Amino acid sequence: MPGGSSDSLKRRLLAGAVDDNVRAIRNQPRRRLYRRAPFPWLLAAAGAALVAAAALVVVALRSGAPAPAESGAASVATSAPAPEGLPAFVSAPPARVSGRVFPLAVRRIAIDPGHGGGDQGTRTSSGLREKDLTLDLARRLAARLAAAGFEPRLTRDSDQRMLLADRARFANDAGADLFVSIHLNWIEDGRANRGIETFYLGPSDDPEATQLASFENRESGYSLADVRRLLDSIYADLRQEQSRAFALAVQKRLLAAVRAVAPEVRDRGIKSAPFLVLVATDMPAVLAEVACLSNDEEARLLGRDDYRDRIAGALFDGIAAYSRSVAQAEPGSGSDKGVR
Amino acid sequence: MSAKEKVLSVGIDLGTSQSAISTSAGAHHVVDSYVGWPVDMVARKVMKKPVVIGAEALENRTMLDLHRPLEQGLIKEGSEKDLAAVREILSHLIELATEGNRETRTRAVVGVPAETMRVNKQQLRQIMRGMVDSLIIVSEPFAVAYGIEALLHTMIIDVGAGTTDFCVMKGRYPTEEDQRTLTKAGDSVDDLLAKLIDERHPEVQFSIHMVRGWKEQYGFVGEPAQRALVTAPVHGKAQKVDITDAVRAACESLLAPFTETMLDLLAAVEPEYQEKVRQNVMLSGRGSRIHGLAEELEKALVDLGGGKVRLVDDPVFAGANGSLAIALDADEDDWEKVSA
Repeated sequence: MPGGSSDSLKRRLLAGAVDDNVRAIRNQPRRRLYRRAPFPWLLAAAGAALVAAAALVVVALRSGAPAPAESGAASVATSAPAPEGLPAFVSAPPARVSGRVFPLAVRRIAIDPGHGGGDQGTRTSSGLREKDLTLDLARRLAARLAAAGFEPRLTRDSDQRMLLADRARFANDAGADLFVSIHLNWIEDGRANRGIETFYLGPSDDPEATQLASFENRESGYSLADVRRLLDSIYADLRQEQSRAFALAVQKRLLAAVRAVAPEVRDRGIKSAPFLVLVATDMPAVLAEVACLSNDEEARLLGRDDYRDRIAGALFDGIAAYSRSVAQAEPGSGSDKGVR
Repeated sequence: MSAKEKVLSVGIDLGTSQSAISTSAGAHHVVDSYVGWPVDMVARKVMKKPVVIGAEALENRTMLDLHRPLEQGLIKEGSEKDLAAVREILSHLIELATEGNRETRTRAVVGVPAETMRVNKQQLRQIMRGMVDSLIIVSEPFAVAYGIEALLHTMIIDVGAGTTDFCVMKGRYPTEEDQRTLTKAGDSVDDLLAKLIDERHPEVQFSIHMVRGWKEQYGFVGEPAQRALVTAPVHGKAQKVDITDAVRAACESLLAPFTETMLDLLAAVEPEYQEKVRQNVMLSGRGSRIHGLAEELEKALVDLGGGKVRLVDDPVFAGANGSLAIALDADEDDWEKVSA
């Protein structure tokens, strides 16, 4: 036996395996390993220093000196009341930085037509291919954006295969303010169903969304280690909130535009899912499944210029609405105007 | 459970390239992880069955819609066919194990690549619903470690087709920080070998399945035990081709990432146990049979003070046997918690 073993050790390992499975059955996250702080005395000293600093601030306030927060133009932390007996800044968790602190204009838009080259995406029996339709929609959207003074940047402007990693890198290198990836859905029972859904970055418990993300992520160009590092670093990110607001804006406009022609189209909503193009981009990013190629009627409509123009127009409206909401955001207003 | 009910414990190794089963009744089966459905009426008549599994599917691939449902250590979820293919493989293995005797109560432990463990646990549980009565899913390197009782101060390197899983056994159920997964594995060697043969012998006609066979027959790192002389068609005529250098280059592409990951994981072991772990590195999985791999990894350990890298006795069944050992050691309470 190469390593040591005993019944109690085996029992402990088995209990760990069973616990891991029970957690999976109950949909709970894996148990994480919690480490003791390496230098408890260091933390104690830091705590003592913080308490001493608090005492100094209290003395300063009582003597009439202005508190530092009062002189700031924009506060980036909320002042939740502290539990009794503890100094406020010790007990209150640090608040996340609000996006509204940075009301900057949206100018450059990265548009990503899904698939391309040998990767055709979905395809109808009549020969409509997802890669062609997404490129057509992207070009139409780019024309509208350019006419309105935005700077559109297409990840691909021809029928070429492009790794997901390269698409994300292109958007990052271009310094894009927003990223929108255009796709067409294929729902297995899609002959009866047709709907629109928009994804933004985040984990997902929805098996359908996970399945779709897995499908689209097939040829990402990233290693597993890259993906894990990316995921670990961004799930609690401000960008996730902004992407959600962006997804809402796009979904709302898409649905309104398409339902004007086809009222039966279902609102499949906005959903979070770990699509790699959303994970690896640095800006608010959405992936819009703008139509269902699996639905015969939808496929027929997508063959028409005016319908594709309508979809491109709706994407433009969503981007414009989100951009306005960012530009008009008032610090501390607490709402994303023009989005919901 | 009534006293009269028969219980069959099974251990399954669900692999990208091959899947194996070992049972408490002493049965052992291995199948290639391929599933094919006849493409048309003619194929159905020839095959005389609605679905073909394993080597038979591979041999008759021209008549089949062939699926290899695991890729890079993950269950492909892009299409219903790939999920169905996983179900067919598992169902086939269970059928082989129970010999159609469904009066037997079946308890299964399934060892899967570590990435499947992280991402597809729920899907796998759904797929196996109704197939077995209770189910525990564990990562493949853990199953191997359990089977050979290498539970403490041991490193398992499980070289599969889609991924290579590294796991340090520290006397606890492995956590994320005890494990690493690389996509440098059997498939990446096959792809590189195919590319190199194509570059060096553009006149040779071959398929990826032929390349895989050549790698399994001649794969080596370091000095070749024999020249890799293969027979392949050149302009339709069978000829002998020397691919020794290409085989060496492709197989040695594993060395740098393996060494780096092994040393990285070793550095994370508590200092007083590093020597023990270095002396207990175990190679498992079909890819571990690349000639000279253990010796080359041992060379990488020399700078750290030396170490021992060994092959597990039965790389094909090490995972299935380990899973079976877990199944046999789990008690009634454990099984109760994980009813499928």
